Amino acid sequence: MSLKNVFENWSTYRKGAEEGGYHTYEHRWTMAVNLDLCIGCNACSTACYAENNLAVVGEKRFAKGQAMHWMRIERYWDEEGKDHPENGASFLPMMCQQCGAATCEPVCPVAATYHTPDGLNAQVYNRCIGSRYCSNNCPFRVRYFNFYSYYETSWPEPLNLQLNPDLTVRDKGVMEKCTFCVQRIRVAKDKAKMENRKLQEGEFTTACAQACPTTAIVFGDTMNPDSKVGKLWQQHQVKRHVYKQTKEDPQLRGYRIFEELNVDPSVMYLDRVRDTTI
Amino acid sequence: MIGKMKRRDFLKALGLGGTATLVGCDLPTTVTLEEGKEDVVSYLLPEEYAIPGIAVWYASTCTQCTAGCGIHGRVREGRVLKIEGNPEAPINVGKTCQMGQAGLQGHYNPDRITAPMVREGGRLVPTTWEKAQALLSEKVGAKSTLNADRVAWFTGTLSGHQRALVNNHLDAVGSKLHFAHEVVNANVWQAVSRDMLDDPMPRIRLDKAKLILSFGADFLATWVSPVHFAGQYSKFRTAADRGALIQVESKMSMTGGSADLWVAIRPGTEGALALGLANYLVANGVNAAALTAEVRDKIAAYDVQKVAGITGIATAQIERIGKALKARSPSVVLAGASVEGQAQGYESVAAIMLLNVLLGNIGTTIEPSGKFPFPQLEAKSGGTGDLLAFTKAVEQKQLDVVFFYGANPLYSAPAALKLDEQINNIPFKVVLAQFPDETAMHADLVLPVSSYLEDWGTHVAAYQPEQNQMGVQQPLMQKLYGDTRGFGDVVVSLLALRNTAQWGAFTDSYGYLKNVFATMKAGVGAGALSNDEFWNNSLQTGMVKVDAPARKHTLKPVVPNVATNAPDAGFPYYLVPSPRMGLFDGRHANLPWLQESPDQIAKVVWDSWAEIHPSTADKLGIAHGDVIKVESEHGALEVKAYLIKGIHPDAISIPLGQGHTEYGRYAKNRGVNPLKILKRITDAKTGELAMYATRVKVSKTGKQDVIIRLGHSDTQHGRRLARTVSVDVLKRTKGA
Amino acid sequence: MVRWVNKQVAEIAGATAPRALRHVSWIAAVALMWAASSSAGFAQDIVPPVGLHQGEDVVQPIEFPHNIHVEVNKINCMYCHTYARRSKVAGIPPTSKCIGCHKIIATDKPRIQKLTEYWQKGESPKWKKVHDVPDYVHFTHERHLKKLVFDRDYPVEDVKEICAFCHGQLKEMTVAKKVKPLNMGWCVSCHEKNGGPSDCWKCHK
Repeated sequence: MSLKNVFENWSTYRKGAEEGGYHTYEHRWTMAVNLDLCIGCNACSTACYAENNLAVVGEKRFAKGQAMHWMRIERYWDEEGKDHPENGASFLPMMCQQCGAATCEPVCPVAATYHTPDGLNAQVYNRCIGSRYCSNNCPFRVRYFNFYSYYETSWPEPLNLQLNPDLTVRDKGVMEKCTFCVQRIRVAKDKAKMENRKLQEGEFTTACAQACPTTAIVFGDTMNPDSKVGKLWQQHQVKRHVYKQTKEDPQLRGYRIFEELNVDPSVMYLDRVRDTTI
Repeated sequence: MIGKMKRRDFLKALGLGGTATLVGCDLPTTVTLEEGKEDVVSYLLPEEYAIPGIAVWYASTCTQCTAGCGIHGRVREGRVLKIEGNPEAPINVGKTCQMGQAGLQGHYNPDRITAPMVREGGRLVPTTWEKAQALLSEKVGAKSTLNADRVAWFTGTLSGHQRALVNNHLDAVGSKLHFAHEVVNANVWQAVSRDMLDDPMPRIRLDKAKLILSFGADFLATWVSPVHFAGQYSKFRTAADRGALIQVESKMSMTGGSADLWVAIRPGTEGALALGLANYLVANGVNAAALTAEVRDKIAAYDVQKVAGITGIATAQIERIGKALKARSPSVVLAGASVEGQAQGYESVAAIMLLNVLLGNIGTTIEPSGKFPFPQLEAKSGGTGDLLAFTKAVEQKQLDVVFFYGANPLYSAPAALKLDEQINNIPFKVVLAQFPDETAMHADLVLPVSSYLEDWGTHVAAYQPEQNQMGVQQPLMQKLYGDTRGFGDVVVSLLALRNTAQWGAFTDSYGYLKNVFATMKAGVGAGALSNDEFWNNSLQTGMVKVDAPARKHTLKPVVPNVATNAPDAGFPYYLVPSPRMGLFDGRHANLPWLQESPDQIAKVVWDSWAEIHPSTADKLGIAHGDVIKVESEHGALEVKAYLIKGIHPDAISIPLGQGHTEYGRYAKNRGVNPLKILKRITDAKTGELAMYATRVKVSKTGKQDVIIRLGHSDTQHGRRLARTVSVDVLKRTKGA
Repeated sequence: MVRWVNKQVAEIAGATAPRALRHVSWIAAVALMWAASSSAGFAQDIVPPVGLHQGEDVVQPIEFPHNIHVEVNKINCMYCHTYARRSKVAGIPPTSKCIGCHKIIATDKPRIQKLTEYWQKGESPKWKKVHDVPDYVHFTHERHLKKLVFDRDYPVEDVKEICAFCHGQLKEMTVAKKVKPLNMGWCVSCHEKNGGPSDCWKCHK
């Protein structure tokens, strides 16, 4: 959907279901990340570098916060007042949350970022003019800007032979971010269409979910009744597109980061669990 | 050219022509719309498997560490683009770690050695394979005046047919010297298991355990078979009765980051804690009948009070762990590198294994492994004992010719061993190298070998899960550089130099491998298949599943003569050279993805750092980012201080991986190598280097630097991004 | 631009039924057409993209005469560009396919002798790409062929008329030349008229 669409329908999208807001989709790509299984190993992140032609920026540019890690693992401590972090660390895999009411979309002056019929926040690289409004407006800080022409330095021959031809190598001045591996979605959809059938659950997954050694990341289409991720969302009673989550059992572990901002993220996290009864 | 191509069934299946099929063909560039600029090279022969624009997945085996995970490589237009886990592989069940993902960057590395090099006038200069072969023929050929036992192989962990070939070569030469060196290993754990259970690598069933007590075993990142254990860990955590993890170590490892209870322990006192826990258990009614009277006496000598004094852990904390061990059965107790790497490493690991005996874990969560039916293919697990033996042989000028492969002793040998100075005691050093690492740059002859994605091989991991397997490694694409050769190819050609009658018939290891597969098939229950069927099945699945009869555990409790280190006033701190998932022992420092991937705990990129507890830093007046001098008897390192609470106040941790003086653009002259300042202390029983026993002193240099890391905040400032609940909430919640 | 946007909104709002109906009508129309006429052509419900481009002359390693193959010898495009119906790229035929015929046919011609030379060296000629879309474009031959040919029961022997939508009449060319703009507006004009997708991420990668 486009800029015009956003202008015309923005209020409908922004309204919660309580006030009759709605969104119609063909697919609804969704994720669930179980923080109790995340061991912070970075397999997802490196898989993302391999899959998505992410540039290696080097030490100096990393220091300036210009790293291009679409999937990063944040690590937090909660050891205040103690001598040691007795309960280990908190690992938080953070990628684009593909918000249903994304704050990045309406600020793009050229509609380079927009909402797809699959519920993804698309980033059209060739349309992007690099205003960076989107990344400034993103509460999750998951948009990454190409400050340099990284292709000149990041893939010295023959490293360039590893580049995935299914997506662009981005140039200077372009914003980029996690796409839920849209190139894999595209290939799977084309294949299904060629075979005159619907997409199947488990037919493909994102690079991060495929690599994850503990299966902490689950990806799928919640509009497919068979989807594991859809069942997880239901089980944890996290609803989409509502102002307020009302759980019958408030102790269920599913939650979305920045729920209070009403951006309707497509990623549900499950609480990290710590056994304090030992 | 066409005839030559046909000799490889597999490459034919890839449809790769003799030349330049890599050019053009949908390689992403930044060039946009143009006519008649880009080349399109068609295949020479049509091939159903290789349709341009459609990716095909081929099975192979990962060699990024020694765990032997099965992989699938995504191949398009003759290029391998992505690696995923092979879902059928029992070791990793479709999963990969980040090192496995980054294997691509080793293969496509811009710093690969592309041609043989020979030392002339003190410098390495490019040469040809013909000249290299002539030189090898002169030095180690049938007509050379070689003294057999002065020839040696120095490798990393080697298994499968690579090991068989090396053994064949040693036999052909008449030598027995095969040194296997691996910095990150579990040799002491294996030795204890062998002595106590008569099983060198028992199977561990984390998925059956309700409690894991890990003494420094970083089983999710660097210990034994991390991806396999991560899969088990997933089941362990999601079980109806969620399993709990207690990690006891001096420096928080990646696994420690996931612990329910993380306990900092004074380095080298883990054995005492294990005995103290045993003491608590026995005192609280756990039946110690399985142990001998001698062992029971030993346990009785370590009451909780005493152990608290030794380890620096409060008695309440020890009792807390003891209580959990008693209440949650079955459990599993593990010992990792920081326990092994002490002068009494063996004794400490034995004390820890006794806990498993006491708790009845043997046979439940520690199962007998299968006896692999082809002992000649089993892994020769590398360690540091072989490095010491090798250094001694070098010092005493006992070696004339050494072949190096898959190990980099000049990087990993501590300066105290003086290997740098004495390496030229070996008159002829042949290094089979993919990269210009420290050892290759000291060679007399460098033979460029293919990457693991271009080569043939088989791998039998030392740790085998319920279903034993031999991983099959096959080329996923044509060689990037025509002048590199497969490891097996080189060894076969070396063998042909000695024994033309037997080995002259093989032009390469492919022929050899296909030949031996035919002889193996009956032994793996595939006798009904034709040779080709068996071969093709093996390539298709990327492995040969082997039914291995289970061993029987016979319990022989070892008396753990645990002792503790005396304090050293001159060098008050312990140096913890911690391996990390990513750069590992330094072998992956040349992969830019892994350099840019933040350390899991400290989140630092591209550099070295020294972890130090805030209380210690306070005492020494050190601030975060101060450049400090970490000094042992054998040298000093200048490195940025990183203040972190996940470390014992008596320990200073510098991660492994950096400090290369060679090894290509991404690794060279970056950070420091803590291995260099290690003291030559060995574990008394196994002879392994006690890597965690070196004492250091720390001082300020007055300099300051910025630590480059991911994120600017260590806390969430109450924002609850990553939320935590207590397990009792989880247990009370339906459907959680 | 605006029209395209509206269309997309309509589609997303659930206006897929007319598309399905149109699909049925194609088949009917195609069937009628072939019953009525034996001449090659395309169903009226498909509107080919409009617009021309003055392409450059591209120098190829061998001056391949499309006209002889297509017009004189009536070889189907997909005989050589065999991947078109199975993959996103149409593909250049493997050299062995050329040799398959030219072992015997026209072996006295200099072009064929040049080809034979390549073959004997075990090399494929380095052809120059003529129809190139930017790297940020995902174009798939197989989906277009399915929609425009196979799903409509369009006679496969006339596929060249469909190929001509984007590649021009190769039967009139020797070395292929770009005669259609292949730019976004041109693509979209066809997608608009024929109900092709208009979601940006369908074609941009």
